[in-house]
Amino acid sequence: MNTQEYIESGIIETYVLGMTDAIESAELEQYCREYPDIKLAVTAFEATLEQQALLNPINPPPAIKAQLFESLKDEFVHPVFMTSPTKQSAKVFNIQPFLKYIAAASIILLVISGAMNLYLYTKLSNSSAQYQAILVEKTSLQANNQLIQAKALDLFNSMQMMTDPAMLKVSMPGMPGKEKNYATIFWDTKSKDVYILPNKLPQPTLGKQYQLWAMVDGKPVDAGMIGDCAGLCKMKNIPNATMFAVTLEKMGGSSIPTMTEMYLAGKVS
Amino acid sequence: MELPQKYSEQELVWLLKQRNEQAYSYLYDHYSGALFSVILCVVKEEELAADVLQEVFIKIWRQISLYDTTKGRLYTWMLNVARNTSIDAIRSKGVKNSRQNQELTENVYEQAGSAEMKTDAIGLRKLVHTLKDEWKILIELSYFEGYTQDEMAKMLNIPLGTVKTRLRSGLAALSKIIKK
Repeated sequence: MNTQEYIESGIIETYVLGMTDAIESAELEQYCREYPDIKLAVTAFEATLEQQALLNPINPPPAIKAQLFESLKDEFVHPVFMTSPTKQSAKVFNIQPFLKYIAAASIILLVISGAMNLYLYTKLSNSSAQYQAILVEKTSLQANNQLIQAKALDLFNSMQMMTDPAMLKVSMPGMPGKEKNYATIFWDTKSKDVYILPNKLPQPTLGKQYQLWAMVDGKPVDAGMIGDCAGLCKMKNIPNATMFAVTLEKMGGSSIPTMTEMYLAGKVS
Repeated sequence: MELPQKYSEQELVWLLKQRNEQAYSYLYDHYSGALFSVILCVVKEEELAADVLQEVFIKIWRQISLYDTTKGRLYTWMLNVARNTSIDAIRSKGVKNSRQNQELTENVYEQAGSAEMKTDAIGLRKLVHTLKDEWKILIELSYFEGYTQDEMAKMLNIPLGTVKTRLRSGLAALSKIIKK
């Protein structure tokens, strides 16, 4: 449709001034919804009409206002708990800077919180790592402690055995050329168990091990290998012997002692 | 009572619907002159116009909930309330006058004489009188006297279509004058 023609026909003025019939009004209201141009023209004419009227007022007798307010006085609602839009909008303007501060404060708090989180997280990680390290240290200390306790117990037991009156002590000084070396045999006269205390023996070379021999009826008998033991090393049960000797043998021992590698020897007194 | 400098139309309508006295007072101060001018154009008599004005403002106050902001400006709505109330007033006055005419007194003439104003020189009506006659008469009859287009067609013995076209053309011309 030609909106310009429609606008210029005068229908809009007729409508605004309230002289259209129901059908014309309905039609125009429909067009207002469909054509923004027409709606604009209606609004523009309304504004013009209002301006023209406001510019040419005829002031009514002043008494009318008082009469009017007197007759309506019971119908006014006094805004005790009611806020007007002006007050509301004033509030809005008051709130906005306030909100700005809130927003700024929130952001600052967020940043601080973030930094704190980072700091605390780092600290927690460090603490956690330290805790783990301490836990490991504690475990190893505990293990060491147990080891030492076990050794102490061995030593205690060895000491008990050494001081037992039934224990026969056989000193084994170093052979010629190995005088620095020295060990002691403890021989339980009741059970015939043999123990050796390797007081001074050089660390055996790799793949070698010290072997104890007992001379029984003039023949060397294997009395066991000297391992890594705290205090007394328990050797084999030897019922009868006249002499004890220690040789350096290959790992695991030999059946016949290597006489050239004899380190110690001691007679049973 | 302290009045704010100005309300926006939205605020004003909202406050009126909340039954706010300050807003109503502002409405009266702002629009009573414009509406009184319109009422005078129609009823011509100042005393009656004052009564009509009061009635119009009471209607505006009590019927503000009927005003639909989407349909037009507040002033347009009030203008139509004022015009309709004025036309109703002259019609019921016409009935009274015809009765009074039967028992005329000098007093009545005196009152009428003093209250009657030169309304041709007022507001919109003044502008209408600058239009050509075939438009002027239709606008006079319809806008200021409240005749329907149908009634005018019968009164003037012209087709309804012609009444419609002439009325619209006349108002379009009027609108151009107002805009100047």
